[in-house]
Amino acid sequence: MAQPSLTLLSDLTPPSLERAWLTAPHPTLPIVATCSSDKTVRVYSLTNFKLLSTITGGHKRSVRTAAWKPHVQGESVLATGSFDATVGVWRRWDSYGRAEGGGAGWALNSSDNASAPNGETDDGLASHNDDDEEWRFAVLLDGHDSEVKSVSWSASGMLLATCARDKSIWIWEDLDDGDNNFETVAVMQEHGGDVKCVAWHPAEDCLASGGYDDTIRVWREDLDDWGQVACIKAHSGTVWFLDWEGVDNVPSPMHGSAELASQWREQRALSGPRLVSCSDDRTVRVWRRLPKESGQSGLNASAATGIPSIIRPTGSDETWEEDAVLPHAHELAVYAVAWSRRSGLVASVGADGRIVLYEERVVNHPADSDAMDTELAEKPSIQTEWAVLAVVDGAHGIYEINHAAWAKRADRGSAEDEEEEVLVTTADDGSVKVWTLQR
Amino acid sequence: MAEMQNSNPTILNVADLPTRSRAAEKTSGNYGSGIFAAVPNPSDFLSSDSEGDEDLLEEPIDEQEIYDLIKSISDPEHPLSLGELAVVSLPDISITPTLPNVPESPLQTVTILITPTITHCSLATVIGLGVRVRLEQSLPPRFRVDVRIKEGTHSTGDEVNKQLGDKERVAAALENGALMQVIAKMMETCQ
Repeated sequence: MAQPSLTLLSDLTPPSLERAWLTAPHPTLPIVATCSSDKTVRVYSLTNFKLLSTITGGHKRSVRTAAWKPHVQGESVLATGSFDATVGVWRRWDSYGRAEGGGAGWALNSSDNASAPNGETDDGLASHNDDDEEWRFAVLLDGHDSEVKSVSWSASGMLLATCARDKSIWIWEDLDDGDNNFETVAVMQEHGGDVKCVAWHPAEDCLASGGYDDTIRVWREDLDDWGQVACIKAHSGTVWFLDWEGVDNVPSPMHGSAELASQWREQRALSGPRLVSCSDDRTVRVWRRLPKESGQSGLNASAATGIPSIIRPTGSDETWEEDAVLPHAHELAVYAVAWSRRSGLVASVGADGRIVLYEERVVNHPADSDAMDTELAEKPSIQTEWAVLAVVDGAHGIYEINHAAWAKRADRGSAEDEEEEVLVTTADDGSVKVWTLQR
Repeated sequence: MAEMQNSNPTILNVADLPTRSRAAEKTSGNYGSGIFAAVPNPSDFLSSDSEGDEDLLEEPIDEQEIYDLIKSISDPEHPLSLGELAVVSLPDISITPTLPNVPESPLQTVTILITPTITHCSLATVIGLGVRVRLEQSLPPRFRVDVRIKEGTHSTGDEVNKQLGDKERVAAALENGALMQVIAKMMETCQ
């Protein structure tokens, strides 16, 4: 069997001529949004790798980050965060220019705008170039004091988290009232430095953040109050990015064995999805929440004792421990990490211009082990280890890579029952590349 | 202008600062001939079409060239250059391969150690930023610029180093008009 390798499928063209920071794949359509230092966001097709439209006029400085709101019907909603300290929310009807199915003709003929119910308030901040007419600048979220570094929508799409150099995390509720109103739900200021990244749990209203103070923090709502439930101090440099494991992730080598897979799920059920982090200290680490004592969830405990909500019950605290340090593969800061919800593979990129793919593998096979630890009646737990699957040096030439994200492959129909995926990487020269794994 | 933090700095005579010609004559004992062997022949640049010429793979930028790029930056509080104040000095500049395990990689890391004139100088970050900006604007993008405070010369060196090493903060600083005015003023004395 040939060595697995990451091969370039295509560049997204034309690229930004300035630094591109991040590329966010749409949750359902085959499109991505690329944030650029030129203050714009470019929307590209993953079907033909061409530019579809450019969102301009909303931000006065670099656009650093963007995220698509999930579960929106008939419309695409994009939140953008900028060095100008604001967060923009943009909307566009998916019916625009949809000539063929599956969004393939998305925005290619935007002249047909008769169906647009233009009753939304428009602040007039967006420029209305002919090409960009279809993007509506819905609202500007003003609150941060300095550069916004990251934005993330919760799994339900109800909550938007934003973070900035001002050391704060804001949680906004999208009221979905047709008037683009957002309500500030919480402002958390525990971080000791810039908050570089926020990422919502894939299913629950639980937020993870990382930052300049080298910590990773986990936040939950407890009795109407958002608070920190864990602070992980293990990295020795800025935590640049975080991503969650998929809810049903099973390491791919287990896919052949239903028994192994179900034992894995059982073993992991109480911990929930893990977190992966990357840092200026050049490491990539995986974190796992320790299962709570049975029936002693913080919420239940405090409700039972009737402790007023101003006193934060310690029962809500969570203990997170290091599950793994991925094999050392980066020589400089690691700027982004992405945990595939399809394949369970992890990709990391950074200042050394390298893309690294990691795979989680089973070390022991409990079914046929000699059961050395017979003092335990239970089956021994499945042990895994991480291995480097593929490395691409100089993936964007001499340039630093700022971001990586997994997306569904869309340039050809997937023949097999399992859908194919691509890795999208974003670099300092403005280039965005789409890769596929050959194994 | 606000009160100076160091009103009486040690000043080097411009004529005593290392230059390529003089360094080649009299300090070869200090630096050896290694780095000078790498000085490119101007014709290499003229004929730099992508031929498989071995000479083109030679390192064309050396420590002296880096020094020449930054020595004339002005100090933000004195009418003197960083070279004259010995904030930057030739022996504190080094060029190393960024990925030593990937011999074919063209990436190189330029490390510059800065010596602030006084240990609590709050302008150390601005000086460091000026040096980083000057080099990022002058050097080809295959260089990774690493500007840090020389160990033991500043009370909050680690803090300053972390800021100067933070790509995102540096990028944001470049979009900060007030800060860039200060940097531009420092650069006025650069050719």
